[in-house]
Amino acid sequence: MRSNSQQLYPPFLVRILSVWYRHYKVYTKSLISNGLPPFLEPLIFLVGIGLGMSRYIHEMAGISYLSFMATGLPMTSAMYTAAFECSYSTFIRLEFDKVYDGMLSSPLSVSDVLLGEVLWAGTKGLFFSFAVVLVMACFGFIPLPAGLLAPFVGFLTGVMFATLSLAITSFVSNINHFNFYFTGILSPMFFFSGVIFPIENLPAVLRYAAEAFPLTHAVRITRDLTFWDLKPTLLYSLLYIVLFTLFTGWIAWKRLGKRMIY
Amino acid sequence: MRSSEYENIIKVENVYKTYKNGTAKAVAGVSFSVTPGVCFGLLGPNGAGKSTMMKMIYGVSYRDGTPDSGISVFGHDPGRNALPIRFLSGIVPQENNLDEELNVEQNLKVFCRFYNITGSQAQDRISELLSFMELSEKQSFGIKQLSGGMKRRLIIARALLNNPRLLVLDEPTTGLDPQVRHLIWDKLRRLKRQGMTILLTTHYMDEAFQICDSVFIMNKGKSVAEGNPQQLVNKHIESYVLEVYSKESFSVISKNVTEKCCRVDDDGADVTRIYSDDYERLREFSKQLTGGDFYLRQSNLEDLFLKITGSRLNAQQ
Repeated sequence: MRSNSQQLYPPFLVRILSVWYRHYKVYTKSLISNGLPPFLEPLIFLVGIGLGMSRYIHEMAGISYLSFMATGLPMTSAMYTAAFECSYSTFIRLEFDKVYDGMLSSPLSVSDVLLGEVLWAGTKGLFFSFAVVLVMACFGFIPLPAGLLAPFVGFLTGVMFATLSLAITSFVSNINHFNFYFTGILSPMFFFSGVIFPIENLPAVLRYAAEAFPLTHAVRITRDLTFWDLKPTLLYSLLYIVLFTLFTGWIAWKRLGKRMIY
Repeated sequence: MRSSEYENIIKVENVYKTYKNGTAKAVAGVSFSVTPGVCFGLLGPNGAGKSTMMKMIYGVSYRDGTPDSGISVFGHDPGRNALPIRFLSGIVPQENNLDEELNVEQNLKVFCRFYNITGSQAQDRISELLSFMELSEKQSFGIKQLSGGMKRRLIIARALLNNPRLLVLDEPTTGLDPQVRHLIWDKLRRLKRQGMTILLTTHYMDEAFQICDSVFIMNKGKSVAEGNPQQLVNKHIESYVLEVYSKESFSVISKNVTEKCCRVDDDGADVTRIYSDDYERLREFSKQLTGGDFYLRQSNLEDLFLKITGSRLNAQQ
């Protein structure tokens, strides 16, 4: 029965990739307006921080301040792109454009649709963090070739924020509620995950909160890999990312499934 | 199991559906079956449970877990294993859900991927279907540039990409102009001649008459009549109907219209319908009315529909 039904519709990987392909098609349709900003943003940042702030702060946690931030920014870039993709965009596809309804009238399941979504957000995380690494490496703030490992962590970060954002989306009935998510959750994460300054010297309460932020672990892995400073805590951070992704992904799958098929 | 799969493409047995926030049952104990090569129509007013029934058939809505109930499509239960069903079927949902971020051709191309049709095979299939649905010149149009009729035709083309054995259409022609409706009926008849099984919902009686071999009339979640459209009309409805468009006109002839000779339906606001098998008698009545204020015609499925579902609106409509 099982082998029989496997021939009756496309295999798992083809289904996931077909959802990915839809998003890829939409994204590459406006290549310039979608593909250029990821490279422009780190440039603007370099001008702003490089010419401005780094005159006052030269060093952070033993490395130059620009290198410190340059190794954190690929992850915030991956975080924001995945979060936008799987909150506002997902909500629009779910409620307004009925893109998922279309997919569910073809041989795709709810899991296929959601996994394709997560895979696409991971891909965007990879691409966006790669753009930042490339710009920063050009100016010598990220060492190569170790810096080229950062986009892979960017992929994991994209996946992790995709599942988190999908889980948040599953609770949202009005698109404006995402403002709370971005202001209340992602902005604090941007400031307290060791991107702008190290979290090690924060007051205890904030320190624990910062350790619980998933972005902290992504940034830690990126920085340690980039400067090739491998420590056992890397494995702990990786485990945290995996568990966080599985947990939020499970919530998203449970709850969004009920919104798509009822 | 194999043989039963081919006797009935679809078998629905004693199915119920209660929505979580709904008080009434959307579908309340419906059973029917669809044999291969047939065009089967689910009819009923808005809110009768037609769309819910359709969604349960292709597995985007779950039926209630009542005992003795079941749905089987190509031998698969859509509640557990919908993918083989959706691989063998083309679905035209009630609400247009084309991808507005992609153009006409890209919409079909992406959908080809969902069926694992790629490369030149996809390209051939797309041009073939665009020409079949008379959309070839619209290939690079954006979805927002299409008229309602074009969107509908594109969704039908999309549903045909994988050469389905079953085509499921939820209100395929609602809101479309007569030309497009005839074009769509024409295409559906052609597909049926090629051996495709078709399941559709409609509340247009002419649509059911035009293309359905068999109809199943639903009202308030329940089955109220089933059979060949012509036979249903012959069996349940008098052959002719005189429609009188105002109460004043009707009062002229009302004393002659006795219950013995005719059935009178004045449920509606102003229109009175006088049903009879005796054409001459109805013509006699019409002669006493001023011209233009009446219409004498053969009865049709609409009359049957009004008779059994009631001509007044209910809360779900």
